[in-house]
Amino acid sequence: MIIEFNLELFYPVIAFIVVIFATWFIAHFLGHILERLLKHNSILMGLQIKRLVWIFIWIIGLLFAVEQLGLRIDLLLLLVGLLGIALIIANKETFQNFASKYFCDEYMPFRAGDSIKVREHSGRVIEINPMSTIILTDKEELISIPNSFFMKEVITNTTPQAWKELTIPLIIGNEIDLAEFESEVLKSCNKYKQHFDERFPPLLSVKNRDQKSTELELTLMIKDPNMKEILVSNINRRISEIIGKLKEKKK
Amino acid sequence: MKKINICINTQTPLVKFNITNSDLEKTNEGMPPLNLNNAREGKDYHFTPGGVTRMIYPLLKMMLNRGLAENVHWVSLNPHGPEESTIDGINLSHISMAPDRIKGYGFTKEVIWSTIHGLPNSASDPSDIFWQDEYSDFTYYNRLSTERMLKLDKNFDFDLFYIHDFQQLPIGHMLNTLKPKIFRWHIPFDESTIPLEWKEFLSIYLNSYDRIVVSCKKYLKALKSFGYTGKSCLVYPYIDPAMYSKPTPSEAIEFCTEFGISNKDKVVLVVARLDPMKGQDRAIKAIAKAIKDVPNIKLVLAGNGSFSSSKQGVNLSKAEKWLSELKNLAECLGIRDHVIFTGHLTQSQLNAAYQRSDVVVLPSIREGFGLVVIEGWLFKKPVIVTSKAGISELIKENHIGAIYKPDDIEALSDKIIRLLLDKKYAKSLGERGNSISKKCYLDRGINDELEIINELM
Repeated sequence: MIIEFNLELFYPVIAFIVVIFATWFIAHFLGHILERLLKHNSILMGLQIKRLVWIFIWIIGLLFAVEQLGLRIDLLLLLVGLLGIALIIANKETFQNFASKYFCDEYMPFRAGDSIKVREHSGRVIEINPMSTIILTDKEELISIPNSFFMKEVITNTTPQAWKELTIPLIIGNEIDLAEFESEVLKSCNKYKQHFDERFPPLLSVKNRDQKSTELELTLMIKDPNMKEILVSNINRRISEIIGKLKEKKK
Repeated sequence: MKKINICINTQTPLVKFNITNSDLEKTNEGMPPLNLNNAREGKDYHFTPGGVTRMIYPLLKMMLNRGLAENVHWVSLNPHGPEESTIDGINLSHISMAPDRIKGYGFTKEVIWSTIHGLPNSASDPSDIFWQDEYSDFTYYNRLSTERMLKLDKNFDFDLFYIHDFQQLPIGHMLNTLKPKIFRWHIPFDESTIPLEWKEFLSIYLNSYDRIVVSCKKYLKALKSFGYTGKSCLVYPYIDPAMYSKPTPSEAIEFCTEFGISNKDKVVLVVARLDPMKGQDRAIKAIAKAIKDVPNIKLVLAGNGSFSSSKQGVNLSKAEKWLSELKNLAECLGIRDHVIFTGHLTQSQLNAAYQRSDVVVLPSIREGFGLVVIEGWLFKKPVIVTSKAGISELIKENHIGAIYKPDDIEALSDKIIRLLLDKKYAKSLGERGNSISKKCYLDRGINDELEIINELM
């Protein structure tokens, strides 16, 4: 009888401890993953994201742990929910900028190095970070434009021949021989030579490299803007074939 | 001053190997990397002729001897060499490629080289070369070199990358590093010979370097107008004068006996690899004309093929074809007995050749600089140089040397005759040339190079 009583008493306490431990483990593990994922971003931003995720996990973990002790958490949940909504409202702009950065990367017709014009501002893009795009004006002034701005405004890319540039981002595993891959990609591009500006042969640049993979960028100059989409699709298809072939060869 | 870690990159390797890799391993008792100081020069390996051995090797040795450099790595193409070897503290890293890749690479580099030199070439449309499949082999070689350099950089954390010559130009763009990158442009840089279609593309590559070093003043201007926005510097090519000692009487006699040169002969010397761009044919034609005034004239053509021509290298076999054409030409002109083809000369034979010569001629159609003129001046010999050689900017006509237009065979012949017959004039040119040659001494070159390196670090 005494033993049963003790078990009933200790079961919630043990569950509480297990949940706290699991929360610690998950927070720690996710922290590691985030550290690796964000290593190429600014240190400050990485720390802030890590801190936010850490707080979020611990709130969930603590709520779940408290529930194990048999306490009611409805009120706590309500408080946390309200706090979350308040945070989102307070950081609305920040979240908008984050989301806009994604769309900018995918769909905006400019990149670092281009000259652009947005409303009364014009200059060369020197940085596109998750929050804003920094442009350097002719007077050597730095102007920071929030990324969300680009979703609402008309942007003019004034870089000469910017419409011609075709940039295809690529990632290949490090098991693939880069020299051989590049050689095959160049040969493939030669097949579509008639559609490209012949003064600019295909150029493959290494953008980033880690232990497992290499980020590349293939730059070409097209003759006809109407051909852009179909060329991208054809070249991407050929590149997938090359990767497959080289992987097969490696085996 | 902190000792630097430097990575050099050239197409031509410092040494060519005469024995197989397995024999080399035996020489080294199976302990890589192979130390060439334990191998036999001339038998197991020999130094490649040209600027690589005469300029870069002494520069690196001096940097090590003076305690200015700590880790020196030299990456180059050497299809038949071991992957790694060392000599005098310099680590040699060799790139190897399959024969079909070498063929494609050689074809592309030859088209680029001859186009820049304003010479006809085997491509139907040279401006199209970057869209040919062979260009992918050229890129392949450059990427392999880049990857090797980056791999070495991981281990040795280089302070600087120093890339030499046009074949390696893409490496600046391929080397994804913020560390300083210097490029040395050895061949002529004349905007008028470069196809307009190449301009934008070459500018991307040129602008990937922090500094570009050229061999004469006019190339500095040409680079700027071509679109290079970085800082370009002038460093005259340089040689170590200590290598050019006066031959002993026995060496001099041996040389003359071997090549059939008598005491009465008037010797015109051309030292150059066997290549149409070097203009040996024009020298033969000029000799055919001069023979009427100087019957005892002998033209000595010293040199054989380059690394690119050799079977151990890119195997372009250009030298063999050119040698046969030159022999035919001498035969047709009826002066075969007056033209001596020496092939490759050892350093002591070369010194004997300079010592025995009466005039040194540089008949190149185009020439980045022309170090052989400096060599001639070290022996106080008068020189005749084409106006298209970079070194012509150091020459004041009839004061330090004689200059002529590469196609003007009549002028070359006249200048040869005058220098062979007017001893006083010849002596004065040789002596003045000797004092100018100091501009191209190793010490001075190294100081200039170090100034550029220090500025970047």
